[in-house]
Amino acid sequence: MVAQLLRLKLQLTLNAFRRSPWRLVGLVLAIAVGVWIVVLASTGLVALRGGDPEVTRNLLVLAGSAVVLGFIILPLVFGVDDQLDPRAFSLFGLPNRTLSAGLLVTALVSVPSLVLAVLAASSVVTWSRSPLPAVLAVVSAVLGVLLCALLARIATSISASLLSTRRAKEVMGVLGLVLIIAVAPAIIALTTVDWQRDGFAVLGRVADILSWTPLGAVWSFPGDAALGGIAPAIVKLLLTAATIALLWFAWQAFVARLLVAPERLGTGRDSTGLGWFDLLPGSPSGAIAARSMTYWLRDPRYLVSLVIIPIAPFIFFVPMLVAGIPMNVLALVPLPVVCWFLGWLLHNDLAFDSTAVWLHVASGVRGRSDRIGRLFPVLLIGIPLIAVGSTLSILFYGDWDALPSMIGVSTCLLFSGAGIASFVSARFPYPTSLPGDSPFQQPQVPGSSGMSAQFLSLLGTVLLTIPAGWLAVLGLTGEPNWNFGALAVGAGTGILVLAIGIFAGGRVFDRRSPEIVGFASSH
Amino acid sequence: MAPPQEEVVAPAAAPKRPVGRPAATPPSAAPSSPAATTEQRTEAADDGAHPVVLSISGLVKQFGDTVAVDGVDLEVRRGSFYGIVGPNGAGKTTTLSMVTGLLRPDAGSITVQGVDVWQDPAEAKRAIGVLPDRLRLFDRLTGSQLLYYSGVLRGLDPATVKSRTADLARAFGLDDALGRLVSDYSAGMTKKIALAAALIHSPRLLILDEPFESVDPVSAANVIEILQRYVANGGTVVLSSHGMDFIQRVCDHVAIIVQGKVLAAGSVDEVRGTGTLEERFVELAGGRKSAEGMEWLHSFSD
Repeated sequence: MVAQLLRLKLQLTLNAFRRSPWRLVGLVLAIAVGVWIVVLASTGLVALRGGDPEVTRNLLVLAGSAVVLGFIILPLVFGVDDQLDPRAFSLFGLPNRTLSAGLLVTALVSVPSLVLAVLAASSVVTWSRSPLPAVLAVVSAVLGVLLCALLARIATSISASLLSTRRAKEVMGVLGLVLIIAVAPAIIALTTVDWQRDGFAVLGRVADILSWTPLGAVWSFPGDAALGGIAPAIVKLLLTAATIALLWFAWQAFVARLLVAPERLGTGRDSTGLGWFDLLPGSPSGAIAARSMTYWLRDPRYLVSLVIIPIAPFIFFVPMLVAGIPMNVLALVPLPVVCWFLGWLLHNDLAFDSTAVWLHVASGVRGRSDRIGRLFPVLLIGIPLIAVGSTLSILFYGDWDALPSMIGVSTCLLFSGAGIASFVSARFPYPTSLPGDSPFQQPQVPGSSGMSAQFLSLLGTVLLTIPAGWLAVLGLTGEPNWNFGALAVGAGTGILVLAIGIFAGGRVFDRRSPEIVGFASSH
Repeated sequence: MAPPQEEVVAPAAAPKRPVGRPAATPPSAAPSSPAATTEQRTEAADDGAHPVVLSISGLVKQFGDTVAVDGVDLEVRRGSFYGIVGPNGAGKTTTLSMVTGLLRPDAGSITVQGVDVWQDPAEAKRAIGVLPDRLRLFDRLTGSQLLYYSGVLRGLDPATVKSRTADLARAFGLDDALGRLVSDYSAGMTKKIALAAALIHSPRLLILDEPFESVDPVSAANVIEILQRYVANGGTVVLSSHGMDFIQRVCDHVAIIVQGKVLAAGSVDEVRGTGTLEERFVELAGGRKSAEGMEWLHSFSD
């Protein structure tokens, strides 16, 4: 079976040569580039045999992680034409396991996989300085190629089935957003590094982190062993094996699903697809959360306001740079600023609905459910952001004692900002651009009530964060124990203000719902 | 002009509906207690088998110096197909907005199933399905998302909503459109999806503001049939429209509102008397202006 699939794959590849001369030229060029990369990179790998083991390991982990990431992202972004789509085999009644395995083997026979296989084999030479790393390097090469082939195979099928519809845009929107959010602080942090002085050290730290993720683990364990770290090497080997096992089961399940799922048509017709509504609970607040999320991703007005998130930190960076504040202290700035603005984004959320808010009023939705539901997108972005961002910030700051302070202050800004916004958006909505209009087309605000709502919510959030911020300063400049005080006070204030904001905003919504509809109708 | 008698259809629904005329008594005498409801029922006693579902008394709404609704009294009994007609700006939409809890009245009371809409809005709203006019929908949702959203906000569980969505889509001819964004719908389709959303929680009372504006005749006929079956099974429809012919054909009761006041209300036959509803309406609305002073229109410019 597997042999037949392989032959099919080869036949398909060869047939590509027959199609048109231009295609042939393209393929030859691709192969030439591939060969050139292989020669260049494998020469480098062989040469690294004599290099400093730590630098070698770090380079391999960084490059290897990038390669694994490429195997995931390229099929998703460029939507590779899936010649061996599992759905093409649905009428043959093949056992799922056989088909999954066969398709995986064919994925190994492709230009990128072959290039990778040669390079991985070259890395065995790199680590052939002593027996154990050499053996591990063989394992690493095999697992690495397998991992990439699996990932590419799954990504291709995702791209060919799930992403062929209009929903693709939504999914890619989420991915893009996540990437921007993840990359922005990282780039800011990278700009703060003095590359000439400690470039290698920073790369080493990044490689260390990557080596504990599925992206880098597979490339790191021969190097770890060469450096004498037998225990980490074994753990990373197990991590890799577990990742591959997991992906293998996921691939099998995916093939099984594709075999019974009909091909989606371009219209995006999907009887079961309610998007976020299917993911969140079927309660009023769950539905409002799903609706908010859908709007945040589909409505350009929300997307534009999200742009402020990566930009905001730079506004604070420039004056601080001019003031001569050290780089590592600047690393503490982005996350709190982003959290501050993220919570604040909700402060006019109700006005974005325009008159559509009648549905909430006529349905008798409780104000509390409305408030909670609207918080969801901000918390969905904000909480992981604090988790990842605080770690990154402190990594570049360099003193792990400051981590609790970072989490405390950021949480306080995000949560109390969202709490204030929950009240303000119900009580003091101000006109904004209408649904479907250009997001940049802001209406004139009579009496500048909008300005004061914007300004006061920003100011209020800062005032509420003063206690936690003060404790954080004490912690950073003196007694490190204050850092835990900052965490407790910050998280406590944030959660309390959020609860009060939901409660008070909910009451306002309940009592003033006709006035809210009236406000929306008059603008 | 007058349609033949057999066209005054209310199939399955009994042709003689209880008379829902405006309470002749002063509005203050119609508080919202069940006792009062019984009283009113006996007052209109010719066939008082059906309880009052919607009772409006002494309703007033003022915008600045303009009185939009000026002491409206109405009583709608269960199983009625009640039409509200009136010229532009007569206060129809304002009245219906106050009934559905979207606009706070300056004075007067509204009870739905004996529950005061402005004392206990949460309870009252449960019984009402709403199709407002000129208000937006959450149109960045797909049709099925919008129906799901409307149902779940009403407290239905997801499984029920999904099965009802399928039924509604079939009945309204929206099957092919459910996966598309509502903002891409035509005006008529938007009306239909909004109407479907108003029905999804099977309310006792449907308040429909201009439900058939820009809906094609075939869809309108389908929807009317759905509404007539709903009424025959004990539901109540209150709708506003400009289409006299339509109201005369479809509704069993009608109220004529002009300048915020109810000028006539009762069964369609009572209100129209010997003429057509349109003739009666024009007579009451007093809107016929003589065409004098428009002579320039007849002296063609070329």
